[in-house]
Amino acid sequence: MALVSFKGTREGLSITLGEGVWRDVLNELAAQLGRPSAQSFFHGARVLLDTGPRAIDVIELEELIALLSQHGMTLTSVIGGPNSQDAFEQVRATIPPPPETFEVEPTAEIPAALPADTATAMLIHRTVRSGQRYRYSGTIVIMGDVNPGAEIIAEGDVIVWGKLRGVVHAGASGNDAAIVGALVLAPTQLRIGGYIARAPEERGRARSVTAEIARVREGRIVVEPWSGL
Amino acid sequence: MAGQVITITSGKGGVGKTTATANIGVALARRGQRVACVDADIGLRNLDVVMGLENRIVYDLVDVVEGNAKLRQALIKDKRLPELHLLPAAQTRLKSAVNEAQMQEVCGELKKEFDFVLVDSPAGIESGFKTSVAPADQVLLVVTPEVSSVRDADRVIGLIEAYEKPTPQLIINRLRPALIRRGDMLDTADVLEILAVELIGIVPEDERIISSTNKGQPVALEDHSESGAAFMRIAQRLMGEQVPFQMFAESPGWLERVSKFLRR
Ligand SMILES: Nc1ncnc2c1ncn2[C@@H]1O[C@H](COP(=O)(O)OP(=O)(O)OP(=O)(O)O)[C@@H](O)[C@H]1O
Ligand SMILES: [Mg+2]
Repeated sequence: MALVSFKGTREGLSITLGEGVWRDVLNELAAQLGRPSAQSFFHGARVLLDTGPRAIDVIELEELIALLSQHGMTLTSVIGGPNSQDAFEQVRATIPPPPETFEVEPTAEIPAALPADTATAMLIHRTVRSGQRYRYSGTIVIMGDVNPGAEIIAEGDVIVWGKLRGVVHAGASGNDAAIVGALVLAPTQLRIGGYIARAPEERGRARSVTAEIARVREGRIVVEPWSGL
Repeated sequence: MAGQVITITSGKGGVGKTTATANIGVALARRGQRVACVDADIGLRNLDVVMGLENRIVYDLVDVVEGNAKLRQALIKDKRLPELHLLPAAQTRLKSAVNEAQMQEVCGELKKEFDFVLVDSPAGIESGFKTSVAPADQVLLVVTPEVSSVRDADRVIGLIEAYEKPTPQLIINRLRPALIRRGDMLDTADVLEILAVELIGIVPEDERIISSTNKGQPVALEDHSESGAAFMRIAQRLMGEQVPFQMFAESPGWLERVSKFLRR
């Protein structure tokens, strides 16, 4: 099996790592990306990393992300063993968002209309429980609660018709215009695009009785009462 | 009429599965039900100790599965309660000694003769858990009112749903009224709000459980303890009786808050 192999997909570029010493894999990847013919081809690409049988750790992943960004590429997701996914979850907030591919109104009062590529939605009609994880390339709508220990990752918006207490990431491929709305918005951790917000340290009852919406304004995540979209 | 297989499980270990299995078994038998308790915690057997039947073990579940003994030979009859029986686990084997199909077969046999087959499941979410849930007609999930226990219970509910087994009913164990009054422990409503499944019983923290466990005399054998009475109410609910839920220092109005989760 090759140390690294490439494949183009609709979501972006898929890079699969083979077995072998990490240095060799990384050098091979650098060599492949550095070929003159590859330069313009890879620039701006979103990368889906498949770590195969390898368990990649945080340090290795950071090296790989640095290499990719030298070539103008952004790591957007990792598949493979749970260790690799954990490592990715730990570093993903530090990854700069990929270059914008669509226009976003910078001072929109109402959230910008969904860009066409995230206009489809996944509907989940149940309680999402600890250890369950949903990931979707568009918007995710949940009719039910999202419990602590559950994870929702959407490239578009996340709307919860229930209590949101797990981890949520909207605009997961770097869309800072994405929103998160919930009847009770009390996530353990909330991310929108490249921004991150954590739950306040004290653990109490959900403080809000009204539905709320979180979005990025002036470089930080703000939460406001949901007054309708 | 065939009986039912009820698996007693949890997310976190050590929350009271074995205690609950022994006591619900005793309580059901005291109500005249024919009961077989099955210890599925192979390699870490202790249901026999809690029930006080350890010295009577000759054959065990693995012997039955491997054909070294007939089911009848392995079943231990409790002398205190003629309707109560135990199928012990093997102490020296691994969880993998019994697979799902074998567990289903043994429980299927037991169901023909007993009203209730109670399966005490091992801790964790590995193969032993799946094996013990496989034959279940009904699952009871034991949880203590602690954030970590509730979190793990939530995970287990998701797994049980994924196996297409009936949604578990909840036993909240080791509730400590004094702590709840001080606001230092989750109360029933907090637990139910997260787990959103039906409640079948609340068992308070009770020192007698520890001494009764050591003596092999489950508290439900007698009437004078709060915990024993709580297990008796669970048994009655399993038999389809309507028994009101007891207050253990919950905040006023808790019944209304959780009423949709109470078993009717
Ligand atoms: N309501 C209670 N009050 C006081 N002590 C209790 C109560 N319930 C259980 N215990 C104690 O907690 C300990 C663990 O109980 P038990 O062995 O039933 O848990 P378990 O879930 O079967 O554990 P494992 O996961 O190891 O199988 C025992 O010492 C038991 O006596
Ligand atoms: Mg046990």
